[in-house]
Amino acid sequence: MLAAQGRSTLSLHKLGVFCGLAAAVWLGTAEAPTKLVNAGFSPFLISMGMVMGAFVARWTVPTLLKGTGFLFTDLRNKPHLIVWALLAGMLWAVANTLTIFAVRNVGLAIAFPLWNTNSLVGLFWGWLLFKELRGSGFKGWAKVLGGAFAIVGGAAVLAYATASQSNAPGEAAVGIIAALGAGVLLGTMYIPYRKAYISGMNPLSFVTIFTFGELATVLTLSAIYMGGMGHVVSELHRARPMLFWPFLGGFCWVIGDLFQNFAAKYIGIGRGIPLSNTNQLWGLAWGALVFAEFSGLSNSGKVLIITGSLVMILGAVSISMADPGPSELVNWKQAMHRECDRYDLDKEVVAEVVAGDDPLAQHPPVRRWWEAVIMLAATSVFVWLAIGTRSQHLAISMPWMIVLVVGTILPLGVCGTLLWRRTRFS
Amino acid sequence: MKRSTLVSILTDVHLWVPVGVLILGIFLLMSLR
Repeated sequence: MLAAQGRSTLSLHKLGVFCGLAAAVWLGTAEAPTKLVNAGFSPFLISMGMVMGAFVARWTVPTLLKGTGFLFTDLRNKPHLIVWALLAGMLWAVANTLTIFAVRNVGLAIAFPLWNTNSLVGLFWGWLLFKELRGSGFKGWAKVLGGAFAIVGGAAVLAYATASQSNAPGEAAVGIIAALGAGVLLGTMYIPYRKAYISGMNPLSFVTIFTFGELATVLTLSAIYMGGMGHVVSELHRARPMLFWPFLGGFCWVIGDLFQNFAAKYIGIGRGIPLSNTNQLWGLAWGALVFAEFSGLSNSGKVLIITGSLVMILGAVSISMADPGPSELVNWKQAMHRECDRYDLDKEVVAEVVAGDDPLAQHPPVRRWWEAVIMLAATSVFVWLAIGTRSQHLAISMPWMIVLVVGTILPLGVCGTLLWRRTRFS
Repeated sequence: MKRSTLVSILTDVHLWVPVGVLILGIFLLMSLR
């Protein structure tokens, strides 16, 4: 597949791998601001704050990249995918609430590797419904499946090593079922992702609709669990001095999710999701280096953390080297044609978009003045929350924080540039 | 949305797999309350 004239010729596989790794960095970093929240607030409230932050953040940087005119044209061309994008948001919201129960009952140590199995569930759906990995041969299977298992295994080791940090209460069976349920839901959420991208939808359009499904479901679930919308609003009001932090987490989450969506588009869910699931490494780096969460850890604990991290990295390397061969790409094309036939899409246009070109960008829709107003309003929400934030009394390592912030912004710059040069964010 | 598109959506296995999993997830969540 050749890139359009004047564009970079980077292979789509490499681009997808970079996006998967950048997604891991940003999804891992999204956990950091929530650590700044002092105890005393419901996990539901923190989760809701993140989702609201993600909803508002969608209208900041992403609106700069592609305007609302582009968004509406993209949605008008594939209106059926609105259903799937909403569905994906709803799946995420239910899964995220389940993870809260899982962590409460069995602790992060057991819960995290259990719901991290979502990459294996996604891999299964990718194989069954979208013909991913079919025709890839033994080597391809071994690299991807081996890599995915290594990432889940590494997650299990890391979680075990940090187990001493959490005091998990009883009701273990319920917690395990909740964590496994979350894994199945998150893995299934990638069906809409892949469907959207083999139909030629832009990740920015998909994520926009996703945030609506996510916000509506989280608000409904919170109202049910917290005893009505009145209670939700009063709790949000009470949480006002700390709300900036989960909002900031939501901002990081949107950036991470966009990269995850680009990865799902260019390397499929079987490869893209395990890569972005290495986010646990980054969450760990923030916890260990900035918040000194493991300062009292024994030497054996430190060895386990290093082992788990290395296993995860090896898994990511294995998947990164598993380019889809020509026979697998034929199967990807068949999955794309199924969508085109079923929903009356133009095969040539969809093939162009799937290959990283953007026919819409050749005649870009006019930018409207109110896009600037939307962006300003969304940014103002963050500024308003930041101004009213009470400082949190937490010991942090400033030098490590600077290192990790730079380490987070760097992949954004590098991967954003690669995406622009190769696909114009198509 | 055209009627034919609606029929295509409602008869698509890609719809019912996630919908089924979502329903099971909501049941699970409600049973954990």
